[in-house]
Amino acid sequence: MQVLKTGIIALSLTLICVRLSGQPAVDVKGEMALIPSGIYVPMYSSENETVPVNAFYIDRVPVTNNDFRKFAEEYPEWGKENVKKLFADQGYLKHWTGNSQFDLSLAQSPVVNVSWFAAQKYCECQGKRLPTIAEWEMVAEAGLTRPDGQNEAGFNRMILDLASKPNPTILPDVGTTLQNYYGVWDMHGLVWEWIYDFNSALTTGESRGSSSPDNALFCGGGSFQAKDVNNYAAFLRFALRSSLKAKYTVPNVGFRCAKDAANP
Amino acid sequence: MKTSKFFLLTFAVFVFVLTSCSKKTEKGDCCKTGHNSTEEKTLEISDESVFLLESQWENQKNEQKKLSDYGGKVIVGAMIFTNCPSACPRIVADLKIIESTLSEDERARIQFLLISMDPERDNPAQMSRFASDHRLNRWEIIRSDKSATMEIANVLGVRVKPLKEGGFDHSNIIQLLNAQGEIVFQQQGLNVDPVATLKEIRKLLNS
Repeated sequence: MQVLKTGIIALSLTLICVRLSGQPAVDVKGEMALIPSGIYVPMYSSENETVPVNAFYIDRVPVTNNDFRKFAEEYPEWGKENVKKLFADQGYLKHWTGNSQFDLSLAQSPVVNVSWFAAQKYCECQGKRLPTIAEWEMVAEAGLTRPDGQNEAGFNRMILDLASKPNPTILPDVGTTLQNYYGVWDMHGLVWEWIYDFNSALTTGESRGSSSPDNALFCGGGSFQAKDVNNYAAFLRFALRSSLKAKYTVPNVGFRCAKDAANP
Repeated sequence: MKTSKFFLLTFAVFVFVLTSCSKKTEKGDCCKTGHNSTEEKTLEISDESVFLLESQWENQKNEQKKLSDYGGKVIVGAMIFTNCPSACPRIVADLKIIESTLSEDERARIQFLLISMDPERDNPAQMSRFASDHRLNRWEIIRSDKSATMEIANVLGVRVKPLKEGGFDHSNIIQLLNAQGEIVFQQQGLNVDPVATLKEIRKLLNS
């Protein structure tokens, strides 16, 4: 299994690129895609370090405002007004108008302004969990027609184009950007996403010694220790993860859930 | 599953197992008990208190604990793992400097607390050995499960990166919590002059 480089892309809420008119945007809504086992190569890692990933399921689309409203109604402690400060900063669900109200046009948009704690609890309450970095990046590596997008003509270009578009004021619905090889939507170009182990992204100065490859992060890191220097979007994701704290709420960070394939 | 490679894998598996409530088979249950703090004790728990976490812990004496059991005292602590070769003893050394600088009267009103980021290996026997090796007489060392460990790390702002060989890269942060479990000060890094931390501790003790 040759190693794939870390993923691609992503970023910001750009609008769509390939909207196929007429195609039911989210006919798979609520379902999960099965991702076969594979290998993830961390962007910053010692020589030949690879992470095997077991087969798992992942939500085909990010969690929407409407999905999250149901959760907030069932577990009122996660409502906009009720959330504990320990678990979310003051921006929590700031695009909502009340504990479970928001502009109806946002119903199918990805929910954002949620903390890691909220995302984690949401998934837990669905009998799921947040995907790990390895899982998420492995899915993000997929192109439209093959699991290794970087070998697909035009893929890197497309991802970069997505990343360079300005954020729309209103987030598009889920299931409207790209559907990849696995049948998973919106890995690129809609929102950033929380992942379970985001806090394993360490920046220089935090880690314990010079033995860590993380010491070379960022400044200069891109030039020699990264596995794929063309993978601009993966750098951005790494940067974002290393700057987040679990209680932060960010207007362009949402999430989706995953689940172990051995425990359907 | 080639054992040598992947902690991330095991990690993921564990996480799933734990977050799906290994102890309570019903997922709904699990969610509800999550942050549904109905039976609060006499201690007042604010919106920002670490005692909102209801996870179960055990200490080096094999006693079951909740974080709120440590309430009522000022807490000075850090996340560590007892198998680490360099940084953890150093952060413990930093904590001991703080401890030894304080008066006996001040020490008596402080709970020194080490929280394991390595629940798999830090069993009570191992933690107990670590405590006696480092002469941590009045300290508590606690561990929970992987899920609760990730949660507390995120609450305390501690970054933890599991390493292939079984150790961790992690933030070095000395945490100062008030008697209500709110984080009031964090000393970042190793070998930091503890003057600011001591000042904050005394402010709390005298408040």
